Amino acid sequence: MDILQAMSLTKKFGKFTAVNNVSFSLKEGEILGLLGANGAGKTTTIQMLLGVLTPTNGEVRYFGKNLLENREEILEQVNFSSTYTQLPWLLTVEENLTYTSYLYEIKNRKERVRKLVEVFRLNKLFKEQMKELSSGEVTRVNLAKAFINHPKVLLLDEPTASLDPETSDYIRKILVKERNMFNVSIIWTSHNMGEVEEVCDRVVFINHGKVIANDTPEKLAKTIEICHVALNVPDGLKRTIEICQNKKVHYKLEARNIVVDLKEKDIPGFLRELMDRGVVYDQISIDKPTLEDYFLQVAPKKAKDEI
Amino acid sequence: MKFNRIYALVLRFYYLFRHSWDRIGDAFYWPTIDLMIWGLTSTFFKSFAPNAPPIILIILSGHMFWLIVWRAQYEITVNLLEELWNRNMINIFVSPINFSEWVTSFIIVGITKAAMSFPFAMLVIYLAYKIQMFFFSWYFIPIIFLMFMTGWWVGFLVSGLILRFGTKVQTLAWTFAWLIGPFAAIYYPVSTLPGWAQKIALFIPASYVFEGAREIISKGYTDPGKFYISFVINLFYLILSILFLYSSFKKVLQKGLVKVY
Repeated sequence: MDILQAMSLTKKFGKFTAVNNVSFSLKEGEILGLLGANGAGKTTTIQMLLGVLTPTNGEVRYFGKNLLENREEILEQVNFSSTYTQLPWLLTVEENLTYTSYLYEIKNRKERVRKLVEVFRLNKLFKEQMKELSSGEVTRVNLAKAFINHPKVLLLDEPTASLDPETSDYIRKILVKERNMFNVSIIWTSHNMGEVEEVCDRVVFINHGKVIANDTPEKLAKTIEICHVALNVPDGLKRTIEICQNKKVHYKLEARNIVVDLKEKDIPGFLRELMDRGVVYDQISIDKPTLEDYFLQVAPKKAKDEI
Repeated sequence: MKFNRIYALVLRFYYLFRHSWDRIGDAFYWPTIDLMIWGLTSTFFKSFAPNAPPIILIILSGHMFWLIVWRAQYEITVNLLEELWNRNMINIFVSPINFSEWVTSFIIVGITKAAMSFPFAMLVIYLAYKIQMFFFSWYFIPIIFLMFMTGWWVGFLVSGLILRFGTKVQTLAWTFAWLIGPFAAIYYPVSTLPGWAQKIALFIPASYVFEGAREIISKGYTDPGKFYISFVINLFYLILSILFLYSSFKKVLQKGLVKVY
């Protein structure tokens, strides 16, 4: 069941079109990655999904209901967290969570706040003012705030951007666990493609305000044919380079290591040719295309096509 | 309107008040300083003409009532600015709170703060000058209510301007009320103003209230008609200012809360 539908969303600022006819949906319990380069239109799209930016055209529907017409009822069940927004800095963590809990109709407020403080490891910071916290700690408070109303839909704008690797991993696990336990639907923006591959069921790529792809991370990565073949070549590096140049394939050198970009089907032939030319390699690794490869290759290409 | 959401914002500003020396100073320190300076100045003038009208009472009551206008408008505009400085507008409006609840919370915070500052100022006046503000008897109630109304429409008007033009016009939060101050005739009769300014004073609802208050001090009564006129003009401005604030808010939603703030 579609819990959220963005239908032909368009936003123009004067003559500039920030978002152009964007449509996608979010299913119940799904984690959807909303990806794109800086300025692609992700934040504008998220603002329209939250009702804090009026679309020039198009419609946002949650639970089958129009957001503008049923704003209060819908927003009771939605929440948002961004690394780039702040909470009142003179208030303590406790005060921020307490007053936020009153914005929503929550039963057992104190218990809810206490639970979130535990989940997001805020116990020691509970009485601290926001201005005393590091950016990573602020992000955790923001996430706790986003969960305060047991949201059915969560919009997370780079939720792990300012966190250290250990905390990022912890937060990712928490978010996935919440999804698994409560069937929360999540829209997740991130520039960390590894993270997106790990947590997102599906991704929507936005470029220059348009949706250019909407599929699972695996399927999108598979659309890139190029694999990275890394070889350590103690003997025959020059011959390897000659072969690459003859085949007109891209390669990158680092001491005795060479990384060659090849289509998956061309790898056996390439390795055979190395053997035929007497090239000796003692280490080999083949990296299959990732979402990052997709991001790096497809997004700029599409942008160029449009220019 | 849902009470819990209004309460949430009132609570948010209560927490802020607790932590901010600026806010505590605004509520108690500055009113005390103002009253001491104005009171002592009036006492000094009074020493030149002991038989003149009760100048100390006129000046101090004028100042006290203006304090309500100031506090009501200040709580609306500065609390809005507080959200902008904290980049917290988006967090407020991704919640189910609606425009009328947001505005109501500002009004409640203004009334609450005035309910703290005003009795405190009354106490200061009593202790320093032995003047009882209950001298105004039942007139006290409409005077205070009308002062609040003026403070609200000034606050909403300035907030609408801040929403439209951003924090670059934030100085209006401290200055705009004083722009109408001279025409409100806080400390002197409207007849003291030059002719052109007297015409402007006709459109300033607070001027009728201050005229009435001075009449009560000198004669012991006033024409309630002054208060009716003030109420009608205040109500008209209040409706206009809320409409202006609402249209400014809609304008912000066209630009996006994140983009603007």
